[in-house]
Amino acid sequence: MRNPWMQTGNYRTSYRQDTTIFATYSEQLSLIVLLLSLLFLPMFLSRPQMFVVDLILVYALAVVGLNITTGYAGLISIGHAAFVGVGAYTAALLAPALPFWLTVPLGGLAAAIAGGIVGIPSLRIKHLYLAIATLAFQLIFEWGVGHSTLLQQGGAIAMPRVVFAGYKVGYKNHYYFWYYVTLVVLIVLAFAFRNLLRTKYGRALVAVRDNDRAADAMGMHPGLTKIFAFALGAFYAGVAGGLYAYLSRAVVIEDYMLNVSIELLAMSIVGGLGSMVGSFLGPAFLVLLDLNMEDFANWLKALGMSLPGVDIASAMRPLTFGLVIVLFLVFEPRGLANWWRLVRNYFKNWPFKY
Amino acid sequence: MAQLDVENLTLVFGGLAALSGVSIAVEKGELVSIIGPNGAGKTSLLNCISGFYHPTEGVIRFEGHDLTRASPHTATRYGIARAFQNIELFSGLTVLENLLLARHTHLRYGLFAAAVFYGRALSEEVEARAYVEEIIDFMELEPYRKRLVGSLPYGVRKRVEVARALTLGPKLLLLDEPMAGMTLEEKEDMVRFILDIRAERGTTIVLIEHDLGVVMDISDRVYVLDFGQVIAEGTPEVVAKNPRVLEAYVGGTA
Ligand SMILES: Nc1ncnc2c1ncn2[C@@H]1O[C@H](COP(=O)(O)OP(=O)(O)OP(=O)(O)O)[C@@H](O)[C@H]1O
Ligand SMILES: [Mg+2]
Repeated sequence: MRNPWMQTGNYRTSYRQDTTIFATYSEQLSLIVLLLSLLFLPMFLSRPQMFVVDLILVYALAVVGLNITTGYAGLISIGHAAFVGVGAYTAALLAPALPFWLTVPLGGLAAAIAGGIVGIPSLRIKHLYLAIATLAFQLIFEWGVGHSTLLQQGGAIAMPRVVFAGYKVGYKNHYYFWYYVTLVVLIVLAFAFRNLLRTKYGRALVAVRDNDRAADAMGMHPGLTKIFAFALGAFYAGVAGGLYAYLSRAVVIEDYMLNVSIELLAMSIVGGLGSMVGSFLGPAFLVLLDLNMEDFANWLKALGMSLPGVDIASAMRPLTFGLVIVLFLVFEPRGLANWWRLVRNYFKNWPFKY
Repeated sequence: MAQLDVENLTLVFGGLAALSGVSIAVEKGELVSIIGPNGAGKTSLLNCISGFYHPTEGVIRFEGHDLTRASPHTATRYGIARAFQNIELFSGLTVLENLLLARHTHLRYGLFAAAVFYGRALSEEVEARAYVEEIIDFMELEPYRKRLVGSLPYGVRKRVEVARALTLGPKLLLLDEPMAGMTLEEKEDMVRFILDIRAERGTTIVLIEHDLGVVMDISDRVYVLDFGQVIAEGTPEVVAKNPRVLEAYVGGTA
């Protein structure tokens, strides 16, 4: 007799079963445990800690989007922060008139349209040239915002506090409220993409990455599929942008500039390109690293190891980010997700060694 | 009118004509072979029919549709499938995923149904999977179902290439040297698959093959290409006796 709890492989008996994501009981159980602990997490965290967690969730959402475009469809995007920005600015413009549960998805929609437009060159060009097109969009976005009086020329646009179910979310509850909102959005959108991956839409993304001649021969339009990949990735970015706008209570151009695009790329590489788990591990790792860097810099300062006129923390940040990217590319190109996989397989087959 | 009608096709690459004035006609359900020495233009001809190249001159008609300027995905949607000479599989995906990709045009559910993976998305996916399993069974690929294509031996990859083209559910199957580089045993299997495809599905087949023994054995008709021109055409017996063919083969390659 088979004990479903101790399954070391899959013994699925129908095609339908074979499409399920969390198949074994232990996989389902660990999902439930994870969701429950996320649900109760805020009870154990202080307000500043809560902010960090919120930040990780919002980044994770943006990185899931970047992973769709770059990880799954293989289209390098150096302008992902601009898509986040399109979502944030859309939410900021609409916030005085509409509730957040409309402005945030509309931000996603606006970003998706921008993504589709940025993807149009993929009808003709490939690879590095396409990456340059995304970089161009990033620069146009920055220039456009900087010259728009409507958008305060990149200066802060304040976000109103929101009212939810007749209750005004104030200072005390702000991070807790946005934690739950972001968590729900993240879970829904992550599952939606996980579902897409086992349908023709997800397979098409991977197909154009792997071999777009063959994808063409399979009857899919490679160019349109790439435009779809840009639009879908940008939609996730735009939603993340809307949430980030409310979370940080203001929209400023600095949050959506080229260096943020690079940081998002770093997160997806560190997490593991083309991996769902990696989209969460990468942002968590780099956000925490970033925080500790400030402590480390303060500590160096306390030791008297600072140069006059140089802010060590801000000098070390790009340095460390660069170093981490390079180290991962060289030693673990599959990212943290690979470590996760190894650990999981170990437990899955335990107590057998192989 | 024939199912596939290629008229007066000319394809020029920077002054060099890979095809000049090639006309072929294939009837529904026929197995037609195209032979000829290396560089004769056989692959180029298939590239034109499947939409990868657009001819400089001439017309391609399939079941009455003009496909002369069609792109590969359009040709596929009209029912033309292609197995490539230089394997063009998705090497980072499993055999199963490769074949599922070939069901792409048959899946009709929308993005929203796919995102929730319910209703039509679920039922159509299960249907596609059943179809793919049938092909896996037919092409005897069971042991490799969940293996990454890139990790499979050459002969098996060739077989997956044909299986994937078949999974498209084509009316016309273009096979570009499906047996090249195979062991004798693998070749015999492939010949059996090709004959079975025709017998069980009634699919029209255009086969490019260098092994004359096989070609003469299984073809209804043969076209001989040399330097981008059709130099002979007819039943295997007729073609085998044609002096120009003997010259191209014996004189040209031996
Ligand atoms: N994309 C291309 N650009 C330039 N020349 C090409 C191209 N494709 C094919 N050719 C040329 O066209 C001619 C015919 O090539 P093709 O591949 O059609 O020959 P083939 O009959 O399939 O040969 P083989 O038996 O070696 O597969 C060759 O001289 C080849 O160099
Ligand atoms: Mg060839």
